[in-house]
Amino acid sequence: MESDAGVKIDRRRFLQALAAVGVAVACGPAAAPTGTSPAPSASAVVAKPVSIEWWRRNYTAGTQSAETVTSDGAVKGFRDRNPNYTITIQGGPFGPETDQKFDIAILQQKAGPDVFHTTGGDNASALTATTYKGKVVAYPLWIVPWFEYINLDLFKERGVTPPKDGNWTYEEFLDAAKKLTFKRADGKQIYGFAHANDEFAFMLIDGGRLYDTAVKTWTFNSAEAVSGLERWVALAKEKVMPPDFLTLNPNDSQARFISGEIAILQRPSAMINVLNADPKWIYGTNWDIANFPKGKTAQTAWGGVGFIAVREQADADKKAAAHVFAKYLTGPDIGPDLKKMSPPIEYWLAPAARTSAAGIYGEYHPAKAKVAKMGSFTYVLPNVSTWSEIDQKYLRPARDAALEGKKTAKQALDEVAPTAQKLLDEANK
Amino acid sequence: MGAALRRHGWSYLFVLPTFALFVVFTLLPVVQAFVLSLQSARIVGGEFIGLQNFVTLAEDPVFRQALGNTVLYSAVVVAAQLTLALIVASLIQPLGPRSQTFYRALFYLPLVNSAILVAMVWRWIFNANPYGLANTVLGVFGIQPLLWIGSSDQALAAVILSAVLTIPGGGVVLYSAAMGSLPRELYEAAEVEGAGALTKWWYITVPLLKPTTLYLLVVYTILAFQVFERVYVMTNGGGPNNATITIVQLIYSTAFQFGRYGLASAMAVVLFIMAVAVAVVQFRSLRSDVEY
Repeated sequence: MESDAGVKIDRRRFLQALAAVGVAVACGPAAAPTGTSPAPSASAVVAKPVSIEWWRRNYTAGTQSAETVTSDGAVKGFRDRNPNYTITIQGGPFGPETDQKFDIAILQQKAGPDVFHTTGGDNASALTATTYKGKVVAYPLWIVPWFEYINLDLFKERGVTPPKDGNWTYEEFLDAAKKLTFKRADGKQIYGFAHANDEFAFMLIDGGRLYDTAVKTWTFNSAEAVSGLERWVALAKEKVMPPDFLTLNPNDSQARFISGEIAILQRPSAMINVLNADPKWIYGTNWDIANFPKGKTAQTAWGGVGFIAVREQADADKKAAAHVFAKYLTGPDIGPDLKKMSPPIEYWLAPAARTSAAGIYGEYHPAKAKVAKMGSFTYVLPNVSTWSEIDQKYLRPARDAALEGKKTAKQALDEVAPTAQKLLDEANK
Repeated sequence: MGAALRRHGWSYLFVLPTFALFVVFTLLPVVQAFVLSLQSARIVGGEFIGLQNFVTLAEDPVFRQALGNTVLYSAVVVAAQLTLALIVASLIQPLGPRSQTFYRALFYLPLVNSAILVAMVWRWIFNANPYGLANTVLGVFGIQPLLWIGSSDQALAAVILSAVLTIPGGGVVLYSAAMGSLPRELYEAAEVEGAGALTKWWYITVPLLKPTTLYLLVVYTILAFQVFERVYVMTNGGGPNNATITIVQLIYSTAFQFGRYGLASAMAVVLFIMAVAVAVVQFRSLRSDVEY
């Protein structure tokens, strides 16, 4: 990976830099990272009016979407503290086309938004937008773990005991899923478990990992990864998942859980708000959340990560303002600021691992209090620029072949390994 | 030449806007695609690598699968759509003018629907869930539910079936219009000879419709080669185990998800060459000198 400064850095150093920034931000506003021209403190720039642009996925002015409401609230909260700054929010649909337009603006044209929201790895711009002493840095915003939503009514109907404190082994989980797969007298088929086809969590639970610690070698065909995939395959063999589980998308899976067709659903934390808004779903009575089932190793989960990044630019005032705003978006003040608004706004979805910024997150909902503790054992995908290609073009089809019983787990993962290694090497060039 | 230009020169002004739009939005992108196909182009940078992208494609099993799926989809869908359009138009033809207009409009109207919405409906119809419409219908006949788009063995067949079962409204209208202009005396002569309806259709109507058939064949083949939204929506962009992946789907993901513009352009060039080659073969085999 080549930074803007022309200094070559590898994934490990990138992640170390991110981690360093995370620690820096967690320690407080004064310890935030700076670029080649240091970001002045808020008080130093308070008098000068500065306008900056913030790019926020899924923001649509005037709508009531979560992204829009929280983003508008964030800008208001920030402007209350820093009235000399003007923030313009740019929206765009969540998707690869938007990311690419954005990458082109930042990387080719050296223009575009001053502050932007990114999930990291797949975005070329995220890997080169901001540098600090030759290293790519960004402000860590959240870790979003995937976990299990459980339908307590179905557990009760089938006499299955919910996992105590949300903890269960894979064997207990499989046993529950089997008991919860049944057909009612009226012909309605209930399935024990479903996921939305968007994670590889089962492959982690016996210790399998995508790469070695240096992110130089593809290791997702290790014995541990194979064993994890076999556990996933077992769910398909036991027919505890709906027959269309290979093409089930997040919206469909969520709708089926809400309609009572799925007993255990694997989704990230955004669904908490969906269930909470539905009067028929009372937390603790009708639903709860549980950890991902535990395999041969310590408790683990699959998760996504979000960053706020600041674009490199010559305009020192804008760059400084962008850093102040990014610090605010990821710092400890924004949550309480938005909670004080009328009506109160719940700031963002799952800053699970950031105790400095996320303290308030657990106060929003008891389920979120549980989620806030999951970040510590969540496996976050390292940033590898070719991950999308490895994942979508090769790994998912291989997984499908194993889940359909066309290949053994070992065959499927072994076949992917050479191509994945080649793409990993390309990313590390 | 000079005199002609002086005499008619002003007329070029009238075609200039259209020509300029064609050059900017059609010709240049095609040329650009050819140039990019010889480069390792990504979002930033890229260098000339000759035919390496094409070598990569030849070695890539996913591209070979996309190629095979595209050819199979096109062969079945084009043949079915042409046949269906011809049959439906033939059934409309004997009706009165008002009825003909009504049915032409009826078959054409679905074309104004969003292709995405249509694909979403087909996704629901071929859902692997027992409550999918196709499985519900099968259930009425006591047939066990199929996995349809949820299985790598059946997903491509489901996608093809969804295209086949969509009446090609454009083809119906074109065939219907062409049938209306066929010379009546040929049919009268055949009737004198004692030819039945089916004989007249097979020996007079179908041969005389060759120019329309050729046009529809070329257009439908190109459209089938470009199949994207149906696959993207029905099977989440490639289906289980890449079972439904097509060339355009792979171009999309290679360019916009993996950021490999050079490789995606090479795929587009392959598709372009395929379309041109097939069109040439179709023109040569169906070229007709019949005038009426």
